[in-house]
Amino acid sequence: MGTLIVILVLVLFLAAIFTGGYNKQFQERVRKSRTWDWLTTVDHKKIGILYLMAGLVFFIIGGIEATFMRLQLFVPGNDLFVGRTFNELLTMHGTTMIFLAAMPMIFALMNAVVPLQIGARDVAFPFVNALGFWLFFSGGLLLNLSWIFGGAPDAGWTSYTGLALNQYSPGPGVDFYVLGLQIAGIGTLIGGLNFLVTVINLRAPGMTFLRLPLFTWTAFVTSGLILFAFPALTVALLMLMFDRLFGANFFDYTMGGSTVIWEHLFWIFGHPEVYIVILPAFGVMSDVISTFSKKRLFGYNSMVFATVLIGFLGFMVWVHHMFTVGLGPISNSVFAVATMAIAVPTGIKVFNWLFTMWGGEIQFKTPMLWAVGFIPTFVMGGMTGVMLALPPADFQYQDSYFVVAHFHYVLVGGTVFGLFAGIYYWWPKMFGKLLNETLGKWHFWTFLIGFHLTFFPQHFLGLFGMPRRVFTYQTNVGLEKLNELSSIGVAGMVIGTILFLINIIYTLRKGKKAKADAWELGRTLEWSIPSPPPEYNFAQTPLVRGFDALWVEKEAGNKSMTPAEPLGSIHMPSPSYIPILMSLGFFVAGFGFIVRGIPAAAIGLIIVVVSLFLRSFDYDKGYHVEPEDPEKGGKE
Amino acid sequence: MAKENNQAISQKPAGAMKHILSFVFMIAFTAAAFFVVISDKVPSGWVVPLLLIFAVIQVILQLFTFMHLDQKGSAFYTIFIVFGIFVAVISAVGILLM
Ligand code: HEM
Ligand SMILES: [Cu+2]
Repeated sequence: MGTLIVILVLVLFLAAIFTGGYNKQFQERVRKSRTWDWLTTVDHKKIGILYLMAGLVFFIIGGIEATFMRLQLFVPGNDLFVGRTFNELLTMHGTTMIFLAAMPMIFALMNAVVPLQIGARDVAFPFVNALGFWLFFSGGLLLNLSWIFGGAPDAGWTSYTGLALNQYSPGPGVDFYVLGLQIAGIGTLIGGLNFLVTVINLRAPGMTFLRLPLFTWTAFVTSGLILFAFPALTVALLMLMFDRLFGANFFDYTMGGSTVIWEHLFWIFGHPEVYIVILPAFGVMSDVISTFSKKRLFGYNSMVFATVLIGFLGFMVWVHHMFTVGLGPISNSVFAVATMAIAVPTGIKVFNWLFTMWGGEIQFKTPMLWAVGFIPTFVMGGMTGVMLALPPADFQYQDSYFVVAHFHYVLVGGTVFGLFAGIYYWWPKMFGKLLNETLGKWHFWTFLIGFHLTFFPQHFLGLFGMPRRVFTYQTNVGLEKLNELSSIGVAGMVIGTILFLINIIYTLRKGKKAKADAWELGRTLEWSIPSPPPEYNFAQTPLVRGFDALWVEKEAGNKSMTPAEPLGSIHMPSPSYIPILMSLGFFVAGFGFIVRGIPAAAIGLIIVVVSLFLRSFDYDKGYHVEPEDPEKGGKE
Repeated sequence: MAKENNQAISQKPAGAMKHILSFVFMIAFTAAAFFVVISDKVPSGWVVPLLLIFAVIQVILQLFTFMHLDQKGSAFYTIFIVFGIFVAVISAVGILLM
């Protein structure tokens, strides 16, 4: 009841603000403030920055959780974080890293870069874009509030229902997982839809599909995967919500339900999800490697083909996470073959990167370092993946540290390295300043060494029989040395991350100003406009005359892109407070369901409906700006 | 946008007729589905197959008239819908058979 009152007061308070219960002056001041500007923005560049900052915060939270786990495993028989606490750390680490760190940082890069790379002024649905961010953020916040409101979820990021139903995980923990992810998931789904429509509809004249930069291609395929994979998660979470909150029995085998259904649904979502987070990293790598090798990407068409093929096959391999469930030899073999087939397009990509570098004038700037570090690291992860894809062998590896080593090699060595490469590469475009190179190189080396020191020994821990998701091990079974090494390695990654944060603060204070073509090697459209771009991106929509549009013009001796339209006033969408209001509604509703306060949940849903109503009858047509002429007086 | 659509429809009365007709069909099929479930004249073994058939017909009508799949330039929608169906079928068959 107390919680309910607090929520009510909060709602009334906010209602007062939004309806002008305070005097006009106050409202005016709020409206003019920078905070209000950021809270209501629909500009894809600002939303990109919001995604990046939120993603980094969650990345640090997830990192702290991981460090705690490795501290516990430093020595055998440790009692720092045991039992349920360890399970909570483990669950929250995985969930946070995948859903609240990797996904938003991918959306950060997509927001910051995709519209610029295709020569568009914004995404197709700026309002939906803002809504997607705020939904993700309120979902993430809700999930993390579990730490203070009765305990975090403790059933693993996969939340297998044999661990997650009420009788196995009492307390609200798993409810936070279910509702937090559901809300964040809606945000991700509409974000993905938005990018699909953007890439299909908003390409500049001449930007055909086979001229799209590879990052845009991967963003496109990733969005498609989001569109088809997330509904499976939505359904699974909804069913689990009914089981836990309303006494349904979808997954309770004592009542005729089946936990295998959860496993199927989770992995029908879960395997595409791992490709959702790796494909954009592939895209970043392709752009970075071709830029810093000063060469056209080798085998562009085969790269596009491989991307689409990986996306397609990604839906046909989910059972490789369930080999030991006992689905029978036929299922296992079919899915094993399909799984191994994915290694082929992945291999195509690796060779294309190597051939792009071959004979190029390579410059080892920080983004390129991450890209070069990525290739061998990711290949090792792919190797162990193919080992796991053999069912008889997987019966040995399953649920051991070997699997942990595999997915950290692909997720950290692949996705996180890719994200860092992308962040260093596009930081000047997002913020107008170049990140410091010296600090960047220190960041790279400490992180790379720390990473391998942490995860390489875990292969052997797995082979020596250490199960995953355990909070301790015994002496004299040959696991001490490797665990010790693994925990020491974490220090490298922690130092690297701290250096990165220092780099960010240093750069924001006194970083070097970036030119339009910040690296002076730019090949794609984003480097043809000032850093950071004006709010309308392109004063005149550019005319694209080939793959690597800017490079084509550079080769032809032109200083800038040829415009495709005369200079004229540009239509811009108005900022809106509805996205944040609607997300607040979902947040309150989610919290209400978790505390079993149906009235609070109803209030939240009412806020959602009111926001929908406000949006439907919002006749604001946006406004027009006059662009600065880039020829005279315009920046750069 | 809305205005253009209106014009297109008023120029082609056949298009408007088609919409109304399929709207009537929609209502009829929905009513029929209710009837199949409520009445005790339909043998219980037939209920689910009948419902499925009605649903499929309705989805097709829906896609072609109201979602404009019959118009030109809908290649992307077709690709995405077909792939969506493909994924859904694989998942459903996978879960049912295994
Ligand atoms: C050559 C490509 C790959 C193959 C053949 C492959 C194969 C596999 C197999 C068979 C498993 C199940 C192991 C078990 O539980 O016994 C697995 C687990 C996993 N893989 Fe991969 N994989 C590949 C690439 C990737 C990529 C690119 C990512 C992500 C970026 C990834 C992320 C994961 C994760 C997160 C798990 C563990 C899920 C869990 O149980 O918590 N994999 N992989
Ligand atoms: Cu998988």
